[in-house]
Amino acid sequence: MIQFAKDYIPLYFAGTLVALGVAALSMALSVGIGLLGALGRMSGNRTARSVTSAYVAFFRGIPPLVLLYVVYFGLPSWAQELGVRPLADFLAPLNNRIMSAVVAFGVNSGAYSTEIIRSAIASIHPEQMEAAQSLGMSYWLAMRRIIVPQSARVAFPPLGNEFIAVLKGTSLASVIGVTELMRDAQLVAAATFRNLAAYTLAAVFYVVLVIILQSVVGRLERRLSLVHK
Amino acid sequence: MLAGSSLGLSREETRSKPDALLSAAADQTTRYEGSGGPLLQLSDVSKYFGKTPALSNVNLTVNRGETVAIVGPSGSGKTTLLRCINFLVPYDSGRILVNGRLVGYREQQGDTVRDTGHNVNEIRKRIGMVFQQFNLFPHRTVLGNLIEGPLYVLRITRSEAVTRAQAALELIGLMDKVEAYPDQLSGGQQQRVAIARALCMEPELMLFDEVTSALDPELVGEVLSVMRQLARKGMTMVVVTHEMEFARDVADRVVFMEASKIVTDQPASDFFERPSTPRIGAFLSRLSLPRNSD
Repeated sequence: MIQFAKDYIPLYFAGTLVALGVAALSMALSVGIGLLGALGRMSGNRTARSVTSAYVAFFRGIPPLVLLYVVYFGLPSWAQELGVRPLADFLAPLNNRIMSAVVAFGVNSGAYSTEIIRSAIASIHPEQMEAAQSLGMSYWLAMRRIIVPQSARVAFPPLGNEFIAVLKGTSLASVIGVTELMRDAQLVAAATFRNLAAYTLAAVFYVVLVIILQSVVGRLERRLSLVHK
Repeated sequence: MLAGSSLGLSREETRSKPDALLSAAADQTTRYEGSGGPLLQLSDVSKYFGKTPALSNVNLTVNRGETVAIVGPSGSGKTTLLRCINFLVPYDSGRILVNGRLVGYREQQGDTVRDTGHNVNEIRKRIGMVFQQFNLFPHRTVLGNLIEGPLYVLRITRSEAVTRAQAALELIGLMDKVEAYPDQLSGGQQQRVAIARALCMEPELMLFDEVTSALDPELVGEVLSVMRQLARKGMTMVVVTHEMEFARDVADRVVFMEASKIVTDQPASDFFERPSTPRIGAFLSRLSLPRNSD
């Protein structure tokens, strides 16, 4: 077992880096979508509200694995068959496995981030907006300078949890052949027939990774805290 | 929506002070030149929340340098009145002029339409407001709170903003709290910082919305004393308050509101010494105002 671990740990490390990279990019996309989605959900514009509500309802309901299949196996070939050139060009990057994984996980997680950020913004007292506006700030300036910075502190812990969920979810990318941690474990298992060892080692990597992330999130959370006493 | 007919001035008013009101309405480019006339004029201002009137045909004029206290039972419309002045609450009809400039609406081919957000902000820049719950920005230090508006709204340089902030901190006596965060301050200190934050915009009019109501009794004095100083320096102030002693000692005039209307508007001394209606006498006696010693 120790020899086994010694032999394959470098490979698992490489997979870990890929998993972290996919998770980080997915989360960046997710938070970007979440910010826009939250503003849409809270907007005075009815269309914006219904579009973002529909997005949340829809993508929260699709299992990430199904979405991954649709994005990777479905979209680029569909555009190809359709023969609409600009669309095909636009979707061509999805032929890249990592790109597909990032889009699928990002869009899926974006639905959760939308709700997290929306409730964080809603948790800021409306009086903060009034105070900003009484200084002559426009709605958007007040959002940018006063509301969003305070919401970010509220949203940070749940977004940290979401990041951990996304990280674990990147194991699904193994099914489309992204050589992340889980895929490496599969390859090792297939080559050595030592299933228990191969997958347990992957599990250990995930657990250690999540514990490290949790402590980083916790530390940042304390630093960002609005309580200064 | 602003109903066309209620928009115009009543005949009497048009006759009594035609120049200031009409010329301002006609010429929207007039803004904030230092005329000696009234700074704030409300004429026939009404506001409904659903079908409930919050303000019914309110008329009020505040001259430059004056301190006007607005008192009255809760729910009488005092706070709504104050919030209409900087358009945090859009009024339904009538007109509010600050330094001759119509607040929140503009004339467009004979019609009165909602003004652009930009123009509303232009007016708000010049009106400081202090809230009952302080509403400091908790993610910024005291200095950060004070320079936020000057930096991002007035767009003055950082060093200029810091100079203003220091002067304001000196006035409120909290120079040693520059780097503190709001939640490290007492309620009284927070409220003084909130006053300083408004002052850093160098407003020509200050609105105070029950600014001592959320404070522990022993902290009320420090806030009132800052407001006293401001009044003495000639700041134009509209103060919604339950502090009758403050109203009596500092205000030039006291406006008594009840059931969405202004009932009386008289010099402070008259208001307290010769209550003009039994209702005011009853209101004052319930507040058990300490007698004037002299």
